[in-house]
Amino acid sequence: MFKKTPLAAGIAAVATIIFAGGCAVADAGKSGKVDYTAMTPHELAEYLIFEANGGGFNLAQEMQEGGTARERMQQDELQKACSIIGDGKPDAETLAAVRQAATESITYPEGGIQLGDWERGRVLAWSGFGYRVGHNYDDHNVREVGGTCYNCHQFATDRVGGNVGPSLTGYGKTRGTSEPILKYVYDMIYNPHTYFPCTHMPRFGSSGFLDEQSIADIMAYMFDPESPVNE
Amino acid sequence: MFRKALVALPVALALGATAHAEKAPEEVLQGLIDSIDSRYLTQSEMNIMMMPDNPALWVGMDGEDLFHTARGPNNVSMEACDFGKGPGVLEGAYVEMPRYFEDTGRVMDLETRIVHCMTEVQGFAADDPAVRQRHGSGSDHMKIQTYIAMQSNGMEWNNPLDHPLEKAMRDAGQVLFARRAGMSDFNCYACHGQSGKQVRASVLPNANVPEEWTKAISWPAHRVGHDNVRSSQHRVRGCYYQMRQPGMLAGSDASIALISYWTDMARGQPAILPDMKR
Repeated sequence: MFKKTPLAAGIAAVATIIFAGGCAVADAGKSGKVDYTAMTPHELAEYLIFEANGGGFNLAQEMQEGGTARERMQQDELQKACSIIGDGKPDAETLAAVRQAATESITYPEGGIQLGDWERGRVLAWSGFGYRVGHNYDDHNVREVGGTCYNCHQFATDRVGGNVGPSLTGYGKTRGTSEPILKYVYDMIYNPHTYFPCTHMPRFGSSGFLDEQSIADIMAYMFDPESPVNE
Repeated sequence: MFRKALVALPVALALGATAHAEKAPEEVLQGLIDSIDSRYLTQSEMNIMMMPDNPALWVGMDGEDLFHTARGPNNVSMEACDFGKGPGVLEGAYVEMPRYFEDTGRVMDLETRIVHCMTEVQGFAADDPAVRQRHGSGSDHMKIQTYIAMQSNGMEWNNPLDHPLEKAMRDAGQVLFARRAGMSDFNCYACHGQSGKQVRASVLPNANVPEEWTKAISWPAHRVGHDNVRSSQHRVRGCYYQMRQPGMLAGSDASIALISYWTDMARGQPAILPDMKR
């Protein structure tokens, strides 16, 4: 269910509108012969991204994960379901579907959830590098992908973190390292929609943003008694 | 600092003669700070203090010269260009953009309209550096944009939505604002849906609070961290970059739709032009 929708369907829908409204648009100028006013806002937004004058983005650029920018701009089911004008939540049924799909997307390491190297985890938690494209492309061969965690969370207080998400200062010290809490944090990093459907936090595991080792190291930064997070 | 202040005074006086706003940009900002409790508006005392010496004021002065000088293969000044209120009329023009232009049949933002003026009226080739170079305080674009925008300082954002295309673009921009995509699943609300939130050390503006949002969209602004004056299109590019979404093309209808919506979100609030940002 939660796969990329073939773009063809969207284009076909837009094309229908173009031909249906084609006559009344002699003055559309450089926007082409397409009548923007005959489309719904959603149809027009999709048209402006993917079609208008070759697309509103640099769609041909190759992405670090493979494929092109065109594919990265296509929404999967979760992204569609959680794109709500005004930033509200979808209906309960949709939220339940988002939650279930998120739960099903999570895979666990062979041998169970392990804590890795907190020192590397600290570097990754701080790093905002990875998967940025466009005018200043992140070359993953030059530097490893970070977790961007400090953007939104506070960890060890020697550095300033954001507060879009909750503070994680002293996390391991206050929560301990039982199996359920390790699973909870692993799940939250891997796909937080399993607990908070339509959260703004990225799906670092499901999206492929972070690999197994990086997740283990970032978790070590949160839980290891030696980590400055738990001073 | 002292030397700068000495230079700033005559600059402010000179600009005062052409800019019609009654308040200086820092006074417009102060009015907003007085009207609402906002961590975003007050986050940098240093920037607020430096606003009378905003380097963007000099960039705007250079823009005044460029605007009124006959240039390009056709040897005409930009006074022949219509920014929505008739040829050469700049007072209040920018706070009413993006808007629909009859001569192109398009809704255009300021940057796109300047490109149109340079290529169609002044006759510059599209790949001429004057047209192509969009970023940096030294670019013709930033100088001219800043000058034009300053003629709307203190005026209320009021982009027209009377034409069906203006309405369609604004509504599509609203969808784009909420549209999640890319490696991080972000949309604009990820950063701009709540008040008092910060990413690392930066307090973020809330798009739902017009008193905050007017400062957020008050471009051109001197970005202290970049040591350059930056544009709306530069901000859009930066946001998509951080969202891990592809590069939005400056002047694309997608970018203009987004800017139409974000301007609408600040409607009725006074513009701070030029602004100074972290």
